[in-house]
Amino acid sequence: MSNQRPRFCWDPVIRAWIGVALCCWFSPLAFADDVQDLADMIDRRIAAKWDSDGVTPAELAEDAEFLRRVSLHVAGSIPPVAEVRKFLQGESPDQRRLLVDQLLESPHYITHFSHFWTRVMMPESATDLQGMALRPGFESWLRQHLANNTHYNALVYEIMTTPLAGDRGMNATLQNANTLSPIAFFTTKQIKPENLAAATSRMFLGIRIECAQCHHHPYDAWKQEQFWGYAAFFAGIERTTRNDDFIGQVKEVFDRRELTIPEQETVVQATYLDGTQPQWRSKVSSRRTLADWMTARRNPYFARSAVNRIWGHFFGVGIVEPIDDFGGANVPSHPELLEELAADFAAHDFDLKYLIRAITTSKTYQRSSRQTHRSQTEPQHFSRMAVQGLTGEQLFDSIAVAVGHLESFQQQQPFQFNQTGPRAEFLELFAPDNNSPTERQTSILQALALMNGSFTASATSLEQSVTLTAIAEFPRMKTPDRIEALFLAALTRKPTAAEQERLTKYIDSGGPSKNSKQALADLFWALLNSSEFLFNH
Amino acid sequence: MSKPMPLNRRDLLKLSSCGAFGASMSRWLPMLADEARQTRPRQRSVILLWMTGGPSQTDTFDMKPGHENGGSFKPIETSVPGIQICEHLPLLARQMHHCAPIRSMSTKEGDHTRGTYLLRTGNLPQGPIDYPTLGSLLSKELGQEQSDLPNFVAVAPYTQFSPAAYGPGFLGPNFAPLVVGDANRAVATPMGPNYDQSLAVKNLALPRGVNLERADARLSLLGELEADFASGRPGLNSESHRSAYAAAVRMMRSEAVKAFQLEDETEKLRDAYGRNQFGQACLLARRLVERGVPFIEVSLNGVGNNQTFAWDTHAQNFTSVKSLLGVLDPAWSTLLADLQDRGLLDSTLIVWMGEFGRTPKINPQTGRDHFPNAWSSVLCGGGIKGGQVIGRTSDDGMKVEDRPVSVQDLFATFCQVLGLDSMKQNISNVGRPIRLADPTAKPITELIG
Repeated sequence: MSNQRPRFCWDPVIRAWIGVALCCWFSPLAFADDVQDLADMIDRRIAAKWDSDGVTPAELAEDAEFLRRVSLHVAGSIPPVAEVRKFLQGESPDQRRLLVDQLLESPHYITHFSHFWTRVMMPESATDLQGMALRPGFESWLRQHLANNTHYNALVYEIMTTPLAGDRGMNATLQNANTLSPIAFFTTKQIKPENLAAATSRMFLGIRIECAQCHHHPYDAWKQEQFWGYAAFFAGIERTTRNDDFIGQVKEVFDRRELTIPEQETVVQATYLDGTQPQWRSKVSSRRTLADWMTARRNPYFARSAVNRIWGHFFGVGIVEPIDDFGGANVPSHPELLEELAADFAAHDFDLKYLIRAITTSKTYQRSSRQTHRSQTEPQHFSRMAVQGLTGEQLFDSIAVAVGHLESFQQQQPFQFNQTGPRAEFLELFAPDNNSPTERQTSILQALALMNGSFTASATSLEQSVTLTAIAEFPRMKTPDRIEALFLAALTRKPTAAEQERLTKYIDSGGPSKNSKQALADLFWALLNSSEFLFNH
Repeated sequence: MSKPMPLNRRDLLKLSSCGAFGASMSRWLPMLADEARQTRPRQRSVILLWMTGGPSQTDTFDMKPGHENGGSFKPIETSVPGIQICEHLPLLARQMHHCAPIRSMSTKEGDHTRGTYLLRTGNLPQGPIDYPTLGSLLSKELGQEQSDLPNFVAVAPYTQFSPAAYGPGFLGPNFAPLVVGDANRAVATPMGPNYDQSLAVKNLALPRGVNLERADARLSLLGELEADFASGRPGLNSESHRSAYAAAVRMMRSEAVKAFQLEDETEKLRDAYGRNQFGQACLLARRLVERGVPFIEVSLNGVGNNQTFAWDTHAQNFTSVKSLLGVLDPAWSTLLADLQDRGLLDSTLIVWMGEFGRTPKINPQTGRDHFPNAWSSVLCGGGIKGGQVIGRTSDDGMKVEDRPVSVQDLFATFCQVLGLDSMKQNISNVGRPIRLADPTAKPITELIG
């Protein structure tokens, strides 16, 4: 066959290349949209339970409701008026997802989630002097990782294996504020094996074994030996100075693999919580061996506990409640959903932003908080969005946005911890209790501060408030426009027709002082003091 | 976890059905107040005198005369034969028949943060459980739900050692203290004319330029917004928001808030308490007890401009303690006498304590260091059998030799003195029920009359 080309075999190669090129080119379209797939899976699982339990879900949230909610959850504050107007005018079918993408790339995501993870990993930072002192260093470390979108497994691995002794250890880090290190995690747990065991198992695995420290757990299956066997992975950490007030020099025996239970003779070997014995490797420390097991994809506890925590952040209630206690009677409300979320999170290399995208894309997250049917009462049905308390930071930063403060309220000096001033006072007053965000209580002092405090006073003063002055003084605005602007600034929504009608009459009459501008100030005061402003919903 | 609200559901419904939160307020509040006054039985109160930093037992209630650990202070006789206390507490010595020093406190925690948490909550910090501070725990049991004043008032708490030890923990903000006086941000002139200014409730007055009429208009606008929002979203959050606002407005407009107007007292009595923050705070405590507030705590954080780490006398112990006792003695003794005069002493338990004691051995800086092993606290009034000493330490003060008292023993004693069932449970934030005091605790039965 003379006309046969000598290198006939090129054809399939070329075809293959074209195929690869096409695949790469079209991959966002041709391949599955993982975020949407996971969101759909969430919706299917949630809807299946509605069907079986006879639940009628709430309506889908309108754009305004979604915008406010997701801004608070992802970026830590309500959006400014200009953003609200832009979003409410937008018509792109993708705009909710695009918004989340934008929020995740904003510096506010970094700051907000550094508060979130600090609260999770260093609860002491809100409760004791040392914890407060160490908080800025820990947050700086977190922020660097959040900025790089370090995946969750790598974040935890770095904590678990961070050096405590030597020139990158405890003293070096404490003396040099510029060293970014999670070492404060260990300091706040007083570098004691039992405290580290209790903290790491609860935070990273959702297992509360600390009660087994002193006795066998009354409800769960955990035995005292299991607790100390887990604690034994930290047994190599030793203080070289003995002083209750101060953690001095620390050394670490890297290959110590056993521990004597205090006030007992029993020696226990380091053992994983699933009961298996580690495969010890030479020159690999006990802590590293534990971290390898803990953050492995096949560890059933690790991914599950993480997705439940993130889920809880967005829904106010976990699939397992309390968020970090998978033991005993705390069965998941949607077991298959939890498993699939965990598996998918692990399959995507524990990418937190991926998980956040999927959750916020789901219709379940996008339900309104307004109850429309009497079956929408059980929080773990996720049939309507739960009303959730704000953290002090979320509240302060939202007030700042609403009243138009130009300066940023973020910490200007990350290493200055003994702060005074309005933000510090505010955070102290609004420090969240550890109750679930759906059961947040308001104190009398908080109410007094919001009603009469100097911060609200200046925000609602015609002389001092940027937002209010602009709205009240702008010459060509009609009363309904002014009312709408105040609603957008504080509540991220337009007033309803009924509100508009009622309030226009009120403002035009000028209220008790017969002064329309003062009446506008009074309306702004009421908006800022309302539940609708003070909660996420 | 459902928690009792200061307002019951019927009242809330009434509020929302009125539609106007504020307009109804003026009619609704006095009526409520009258109702509360009529039904309130004679209740018990507690005044906690908190000694920030850990006071020296050897230089106050457990003197060791003749021993090298004893130091330079001399003991004096008291109104109870056989009980001696420090010479710098001469006024209190005359009231000793109301008091019972416990000389055998034994607590095992010598760190400020952890010790403060232990003594104020009864527990060591334990992972995720947020134990409530003593005032939240007891005022929840002793308090009335719809009182004009909050059930727990804290004067000048120095919270920096352990903020969690001063909060309501798992009981939630409804049981948080109303804090007056600021110890964390040092008061510039605590001895100057301004000290009682700092005992006022913050943010109680309407903002400048807002009169009562405008305030009502604002509350009315708020009421409308609340009715719309809450009707579609029933739940604890907005309910608690509304009850806190109602309680705040009730307090702003109540007669009882005059408790904070110390200028209503005679100059003579104010002088007797001592013209300093602690002395005036003790006077405030009496005025609050008179108005039915069940738990008041007053912190002694220092003297003059040095308002922190008061009792933490690692150096110059004797100079510091002497000046602290100079503030403590007139305030405490006048408080006892004043309560007695008004017939309130038998129903008011006064507790004096800090986070631990101090080493009997005197260090080279003439100071005393942290010492949890054997130290003293004092109970007075509240119907206890005063005029007796509980427990005994060794001659050098290093060991408890008789009747060691743990934190839980002390908490169980409080319950018994106050007529509370220490086995009562609260549900903690981790879902585990926690009793008022541990079942293994042994209350000091000798004290109970």
